[in-house]
Amino acid sequence: MIKQLTQRLLGPVTLVLLALTLWLGLWVTPPAKTQGNLARLLYVHPAIAWVALYVSFGTAVIASALYLWRRTRSVVMDRIAYCAMEVSTVFIVLTLITGSIWGRPTWGVWWAWDARLTSTAILGLFEFAYLALRRANDDPELRARRSAVFAIIAAINVPIIHFSVDWWNTLHQGATVFTEDGNFLVHGSMLWTLFISLFGFTLLFFWLLRSRYRLEVLRDQKSQVSLDEALAQRRREGVH
Amino acid sequence: MPDADASFDVTPVSAPPTKRRGRVRSIGVIAVLVIAIGALLSQGLLHSLNYFETINQAMSSRAKLGTQTFRLEGVVVSHTIDRTSSGAKFEMRGGRGEDVFVNAHGLLPQLFQADIPVVVEGHFLSETSNDFYATQILVKHTASYIAQHPNRVKAPNGTVR
Repeated sequence: MIKQLTQRLLGPVTLVLLALTLWLGLWVTPPAKTQGNLARLLYVHPAIAWVALYVSFGTAVIASALYLWRRTRSVVMDRIAYCAMEVSTVFIVLTLITGSIWGRPTWGVWWAWDARLTSTAILGLFEFAYLALRRANDDPELRARRSAVFAIIAAINVPIIHFSVDWWNTLHQGATVFTEDGNFLVHGSMLWTLFISLFGFTLLFFWLLRSRYRLEVLRDQKSQVSLDEALAQRRREGVH
Repeated sequence: MPDADASFDVTPVSAPPTKRRGRVRSIGVIAVLVIAIGALLSQGLLHSLNYFETINQAMSSRAKLGTQTFRLEGVVVSHTIDRTSSGAKFEMRGGRGEDVFVNAHGLLPQLFQADIPVVVEGHFLSETSNDFYATQILVKHTASYIAQHPNRVKAPNGTVR
């Protein structure tokens, strides 16, 4: 009952939150002191990066680890890992695009080879490689195992990306929401609009993941049906 | 009775893919990945993990830096900006109060203004001087987001002052 309700509400709630973010971000929140209207990208870029790096990539890595663990190994885990990684790839590309759009007017350049940007681009490459690796193997079990191991190796990059702004001098700004002593750097309505956007984009991920997962199940069923059909046809041929 | 052989499909089918073929492809994918990441690392991370030197860092390795090109970060000192036809001249201050005089050529970013941290790419004019010749200015804004007019009040008639 609760599961059904959640599934039915996921889409509409996501849309409402994203619409709310759009309205608050464009009309309600004030322009920021230094950045003026450019600060409105605060309600898009951090949320997309949050989903790409932590929510979706994290889901893919956890599902991969659960696949490798004998007691939880199942085709469901493999499918979740694959689908989450695919969504993460879309979000990481969007992270780089929105970041670039923000960088040009603020920094003055579209791209800088600083530690945060470079390590994020490397994670994007890892994700494309993961998707390529899945196409390279036809044996489902071998494919699942190899890609799960690969996803876990790629996860080393996430703490590097996260702490890059503290470990090295980067052009990219430091952590957005809190300072080290726990104070908020984002003020008033700007802060809770940021939180709504984070929540909205997170739900968007789960919505996309659910749709992508269903598609994957249908694909598997279709290939199973065509295999059964082919077998039946061969059998009929043998009867003549 | 119809000829059974006529309806029988005898076209050879290709052998099912073997594990060996899968392995070769996997190795191919990983090789491409390693090359791509190597290229990125040489471009970015290994070349310099730090995107810039702060004025403090530059001052402590002043002798080593000499007149070589690098990126230098500091805060633009207010009332020192002189916009020129090809860029701007201004003073830049480090965390410990050392000043560097920057003569920058190139496009000024939209956010370039007094009291903002900037990163300039260029070199010191001589081994000992604090004059810095820059070919690029980048703005390194902070992570602080405060409303433009936090002290605005609403008048009884609804207008914002």
